[in-house]
Amino acid sequence: MSMTPRERVSAALKLEKPDRVPVVPNLTPISCAHLLGWSQAKIALDTNAALESMIKVYDEFGPFDGVNPVVCCTTNSLLLQGHKVKIPGKNLPEDVPWQMVEEEILKFEDYDKILELGATKFWTNELVYRTSDEIKTQRDVTKLLHAEISFYLKSFKEWYKRDTVPMIGGGGSHPFFVLSLCRSMVKFSEDLYYHPDKVESVIASMAKEYIPIWIKICKATGVKMAFFCEERASATIYPLKIFERFWWPYTKQMVEELWANGIRSWFHLDTCWDKNLPYFLELPKGSAVIALDGTTDIFKAKEVLGGHLCIAGDVHPSLLSLGTPEEVEAYCKRLIDEVGGDGGFILSSGCEVPFACKPENLRIMVETGKNYELSKQ
Amino acid sequence: MIIINNMKEFINYHLIVKFVNIKFTIRIKIKNFLNKIQGVKEMSEELAINLAELERDKVYEEVKKRAEEGEDPLQILNVCREGITIVGEKFQTGEYFLFEMILAGQIFEEVVSILEPYQAKATSVESLGKVVLATLKGDIHDLGKNIFATLLVANGFEVFDLGVDVDLILLVEKVKEVQPDIVGFSALITSVFDPMKEAVNLLEENGLRSKIKLMVGGGVTTPAVKEFLGADFQTTDAYEGVEFCKKIMGVK
Repeated sequence: MSMTPRERVSAALKLEKPDRVPVVPNLTPISCAHLLGWSQAKIALDTNAALESMIKVYDEFGPFDGVNPVVCCTTNSLLLQGHKVKIPGKNLPEDVPWQMVEEEILKFEDYDKILELGATKFWTNELVYRTSDEIKTQRDVTKLLHAEISFYLKSFKEWYKRDTVPMIGGGGSHPFFVLSLCRSMVKFSEDLYYHPDKVESVIASMAKEYIPIWIKICKATGVKMAFFCEERASATIYPLKIFERFWWPYTKQMVEELWANGIRSWFHLDTCWDKNLPYFLELPKGSAVIALDGTTDIFKAKEVLGGHLCIAGDVHPSLLSLGTPEEVEAYCKRLIDEVGGDGGFILSSGCEVPFACKPENLRIMVETGKNYELSKQ
Repeated sequence: MIIINNMKEFINYHLIVKFVNIKFTIRIKIKNFLNKIQGVKEMSEELAINLAELERDKVYEEVKKRAEEGEDPLQILNVCREGITIVGEKFQTGEYFLFEMILAGQIFEEVVSILEPYQAKATSVESLGKVVLATLKGDIHDLGKNIFATLLVANGFEVFDLGVDVDLILLVEKVKEVQPDIVGFSALITSVFDPMKEAVNLLEENGLRSKIKLMVGGGVTTPAVKEFLGADFQTTDAYEGVEFCKKIMGVK
């Protein structure tokens, strides 16, 4: 008997074997607008249009077993996280996706302010005003927050209506990644090397502060999955001694406390994590999903973490953009056979469905996920 | 006779003393010279090692001191390049990661700015080759490109970094003007695939493609992107990129 999307996703998360692999492409308004032939300017600032683009793509290319609207998929969200953003139609051409401008928006001396005020207070009282000339008052910040919350609540209603699973209830980025983005990677690397104690104390304080907030949001949305974004802490960039001191202990602490509250962590892991994979065995069994972007060797990840944590991924953005449907189909079949195997796997795009994704490639990825395994039974 | 003899002895004595003195003086001079050379070498090694060990304060202090003492800035820079070479070797053996390369690159950049006021005294040297770098129109990410550019300069290449969101016509004009050996595109988002392809077509139309080696790098690139562009090389690894450029220029 075939499973419902909720049962299918739930089985994969529990490391069980569903009737077939769940299909959860990581959609964002950027790729959805492009797939629909809409301009990027149309969805960059209008959250209603952004949500509409995702729903239309779901209806046209779906249904999918789950949708994974990453927490940073709107420009409002980026501003609230303390980043400058270039917007299509304003300071980028209309058909170019919005992009974050990485610069040293957070100064070294701000570390003390974070320790004194707490990250949330420092961000909303001070940092967010540095991101845009249009954010001048507390009212502007509140307006952004309301738009963002309304986007998520509306999207949940739409996904529930379609009997699909919204994968993410709350969460955000690891403090390490937050600081790296706001300080800029080069400055943050200098801080890690030349001022390690200061950075460590800030990360510890942010982790402690984030945990109850993430738990509260996941409980409020009713989706027991925290998004845990990290694109820089892997051995692609940092030696294991940095990872072991500044990233892993706080990750473990956060995951364990979330898990104690019945909440899983969805690790959105970009770059290559091959050397870091064994550490994840220290997490409680079934407490997290490791979503890979096509750079980490997902087949090795299966060997290391299979039967311990659920794995998601990893059709590479360049394959979805430049590959043929036959190539996409062949890769999805390989994933289902070799990584899906005995369960604990979710078929997804590597990172997000990219801007330049060919419609026929998204379609074949979804169709292969839905039919290949069942056709073999 | 005695006087004569004495005179002879006197002359002989003085000749011998003079000769010995000359020998002694020469010996001293050679010894001093060798010491100086050795000292310079030791100092150089220490400076290079300090850079490779990421001891930035020691490096800045030493560079300032030597520049103030009138040493050729290019000579100082070359010693620092030795440090970057050591960093590259450590990266290759797995002792260092991109992290240390970024830090070493930052130290090197600061050294260049410390030496800027002294450039008038510099002797001219030939670069290993010319490289034009750009993130093309629609993509404003520059992190990886900047790290790569710093490493190229530190390894002795002349780099023309056109920045981000680069207009394709501007790229072609710059390639015509500079006549680089290598052109590198950096990409972090898939929306820049088509502009990169357009740029390749424009380089071909202008008879420039065959005169350069084309490389592409960045988080979203794969061998499929290399094939799509007809590029000569693709990587997501800055060090590999530098090694490719060295290979093209026949440098080991």
